[in-house]
Amino acid sequence: MPRIALYSTLAAILGIAFFPFWWMLNTSFKQPVDIFAGATLYPHRPTTDNYHRLFNTYHFGSYLQNSVVIVTVSVAVSLVIGTLAAYALTRFRLRFGLNQSALVVALLVRMIPGILLVIPLYITLAKWGLLNTRLGLILIYSGLNTSFVIWMMQSFLAEIPRDIEEAAMVDGDSRLSALRRVVIPLAAPGLAATAIFSVIATYNDFLIALSLTSTPDAQTVPVGVSTLIGKIQIEFGPMAAAGVIGALPIVIFALLVQRHFVRGLTLGAVK
Amino acid sequence: MTEDSGSIERGKAKGRGYTRRQVMARGALGTGAAFGLGPLLAACGSSGSSTTTTGGAASGSITIGSFTDPAMVPFRDVFLKKFTAETGIQAKWHETNYNQWYQNSKTDGLQKTGAYDIYVMDDNWVPEFAAGGIIQSMDKLGLKVNPDILEKGLDQGYWPPRSGPRLKAFANDAPQLYALVIIDDVEILYYNKDYFPTPPVTWDDIYNIAKTTKPPLYGWTARGVKGNPIMQTYLPLLNAYGGHFANDDWSPGFAGPEGVGALERLFQFIPYMPPGVASFDTSQETPVMLQGHATAMTEYTGTAHGVDDPKQSKVVGKIDFAATPKQVISGPAIGTFICGIASGAKNTPAAVKFLEWFTSEKVQKAFAETGSASVTGTALRDPAIAAKFRWLPAIADAVDNSIPKPRTPDEPKMEDLLGTALNEALVQAIQQKSGYTQIAQSHLTTAANQITAYLTQQGTYF
Amino acid sequence: MSETAAKKRRARAPRGGILASPYLLLLPAAVALAAVSVYPLYYGFRASITHYLYGREFGTNGLTNYRIIWHDTFFRQAMITTAKYVVLTVSIETLLGLGLALLVSREIRFSGPIRVGLILPMTIAPVVVGVMWRLLYDSGVGVVDPLFQAFGLNPPEVLASNNSAFISVVLVDVWEWTPLIFLIVLAGLQSLPQEPLEAALVDGAGRLRLFFDHTLPLLRPVLLVAIVLRMIDAIGTFDQIYVLTQGGPGVSTQLISIYAYNTAFLFTQYGQAAAMLIALLAMVLLLMIVAVRMMRRVAV
Repeated sequence: MPRIALYSTLAAILGIAFFPFWWMLNTSFKQPVDIFAGATLYPHRPTTDNYHRLFNTYHFGSYLQNSVVIVTVSVAVSLVIGTLAAYALTRFRLRFGLNQSALVVALLVRMIPGILLVIPLYITLAKWGLLNTRLGLILIYSGLNTSFVIWMMQSFLAEIPRDIEEAAMVDGDSRLSALRRVVIPLAAPGLAATAIFSVIATYNDFLIALSLTSTPDAQTVPVGVSTLIGKIQIEFGPMAAAGVIGALPIVIFALLVQRHFVRGLTLGAVK
Repeated sequence: MTEDSGSIERGKAKGRGYTRRQVMARGALGTGAAFGLGPLLAACGSSGSSTTTTGGAASGSITIGSFTDPAMVPFRDVFLKKFTAETGIQAKWHETNYNQWYQNSKTDGLQKTGAYDIYVMDDNWVPEFAAGGIIQSMDKLGLKVNPDILEKGLDQGYWPPRSGPRLKAFANDAPQLYALVIIDDVEILYYNKDYFPTPPVTWDDIYNIAKTTKPPLYGWTARGVKGNPIMQTYLPLLNAYGGHFANDDWSPGFAGPEGVGALERLFQFIPYMPPGVASFDTSQETPVMLQGHATAMTEYTGTAHGVDDPKQSKVVGKIDFAATPKQVISGPAIGTFICGIASGAKNTPAAVKFLEWFTSEKVQKAFAETGSASVTGTALRDPAIAAKFRWLPAIADAVDNSIPKPRTPDEPKMEDLLGTALNEALVQAIQQKSGYTQIAQSHLTTAANQITAYLTQQGTYF
Repeated sequence: MSETAAKKRRARAPRGGILASPYLLLLPAAVALAAVSVYPLYYGFRASITHYLYGREFGTNGLTNYRIIWHDTFFRQAMITTAKYVVLTVSIETLLGLGLALLVSREIRFSGPIRVGLILPMTIAPVVVGVMWRLLYDSGVGVVDPLFQAFGLNPPEVLASNNSAFISVVLVDVWEWTPLIFLIVLAGLQSLPQEPLEAALVDGAGRLRLFFDHTLPLLRPVLLVAIVLRMIDAIGTFDQIYVLTQGGPGVSTQLISIYAYNTAFLFTQYGQAAAMLIALLAMVLLLMIVAVRMMRRVAV
């Protein structure tokens, strides 16, 4: 394919990928009357009113805060316990066929439809008094993420030769310190890729957060966005602004960590 | 999902031949320890007199949950603060969209988490919330009801209903007030005076003007989304043509000539409705009216606040209000905002106090002065206030003429079945542009059969 | 591996103290996974054989809930719609994702930024994606209708007719998830051994021949992983539909997840909703077993 055709194809595809963003951004800066007054590609009388209302009337400050706390803690927890489990699965020959069956179970967890989860989880959290709390969501997301972490990390860890850590252990390291000092640094790109996907999945989850929270004390950004999609009334301006605020943190995050996206995957996950 | 013993459990027990004692024992096992026997008996709605009293010592704070709606804005922004200022009781407010709040409040209530003291509800939730023990009987709490509250609005809060058909298991129970109306929302006709020199009275009047319109002007704008939205379009028509959502024996009353005629009338408007109407909800329907592109629509009163607001409206001063059009009768659908006190409420006395305060004469007048649909006749018909907000007397009349939806916990399912069939019929009629009678008849018959099958399966009706 | 075979093998003695016992390392993860799977699955199964009335339990009722959903035309319809949706979205996404990956895997300028740009849609929350597309499709504020009018065509009323609504939600899915397939295939392409490809080029194979005879067979395991992952997620699609159409018009976009959600939370039929989801889970499992078999065969 000639270069010019290649680049114009790519440009067209990128245009399709970006236009919905642009349209949302555009709508979010329009005045209410202008939104309905016909399609324009940019706001002729731009206003930041819609954003002010998000933070002043619609609690978007709390939503963002909740999301950041919940995502950070739950991803950290699941990375630790998931990596430990993946390590055990790749380095030991376990009883009861655990090496294989554990992976199957982890995959199974991912397949359970979310709607099937929410009622029993609701009841459990209610019993423990954790409904509508950040801690409740953190616990659940930690569990759900763990399945993904085990899957990703076991394929990365399997790639790292045992000789290296065994050499460290001969030098006097315990198994855990060998893991920490030698194995983890080698698996860092994989760990990064795993963390990235976990962050995205957790930040974006809707159904579980929707069902287990009921006030801005614990509601996350996607739930906050959906509160603006009224059945009786939709305010398109604030809704568009909410979409922008909902997308922005994760887009920024993706741009910051972009190098690790493909590299991490190349190293192992898909083999 | 829950073990508490409420009145529905008793009702079910009758139907299935459980003894009262068995059911009570089961309920007591689950919740006796947590809630004590007194509230348990109260929730059963059985023993004659109640020992629960509200007392005058309400204090602390209450949490109110609601769905987002323009009609709730003055309530939320003005009156909660006013209540705190007058009583010292803090009122916390949480709102989310309609579907989410229905799910949240229901699961919250079945689990009695105590996160909320008051649920703001749509009136068709009352049977389910009352029968399911999610909200408390206000009669038992001794809540004093302002006698000036419009009868039809107040009716929406009773379970079992004071009039109309009842679930078999509740046939002989005395109605109790479970929820108190706070906004008398009802459908009214919005029309543009530029096209209607005299107020339209019948559907024919609307249609005759509609026939003269050409895009971008439309003769009618409506909500066409499946389920609840298109039901709001259809019900005033169905009622006007003398049909019924449900007959007194719970059989569907919309598949006969009245219901078919009503739906055909809606189809006749197709050439004069904006494109995409089958996917319209309020947020697409009303801008057409407020941008001056439609001559008329039926809608709830929440939109009235916007008609004279230049930020939203290009037809300031041109929209007027009337009862929904007649054919046999005028039959607006009533859709009140209604408050229930959560069974798990942490501060029941303050919740009672709030509702008594908000429905008092003085506060209701102040509420009407924000242009809102007060619940008392005196506030709505006050000449001084009506001079400022011309839709208020129309609301009072519409409430008096309104026709409630079937009063059963299965109403959301019935609404979904009929509302899905209506939407399918509308989509088909828009595509075919002919054969309206046949389209209407076949979809309405399907919905009637589905509803009958569902109610039979539930086993609480026939 | 059978249980007895596993028992015969001696577990390696842990080194480095009790803390490094492999079972202890597994324990936290096992607890975490069990908490979000064992009890919910048990509860879901029990709910599926329980009689509920208006949110209250009234004992078990055997397979009644399963019988009810078996005869429920809406459930059948939702199954068919879901199947159509999954097949359409996943096959379009696979073709596009593969094509894109091949396009970008070559040495091109700005490949870094271009790749990130192509990946961005999949990082956005599906709820937000729903909002974005609602803003595009909406007949009042959107861009689709004016676009058609600009070309002198009738506006299509995108979300107001059965076929166009279904196509619209498929397009949204394709927009959001083609990047995932693209990403996985791209990673796969980069880890392919270069020698056989170069050898084939030296032998004078054309680009097309090269792709079909060499690249595609090597990529097959990677593609299968991508397709299986996508299918699991596509079957559970909920958020965008919830925002865009709520399953309408009629039932044309009512996927299983939407219908089960409504059944549980709108109609308070927990038992029937659980039966639907258990049935769905069983079907997904079956699908996975078939897929894993296929993968093994391909891998050999």
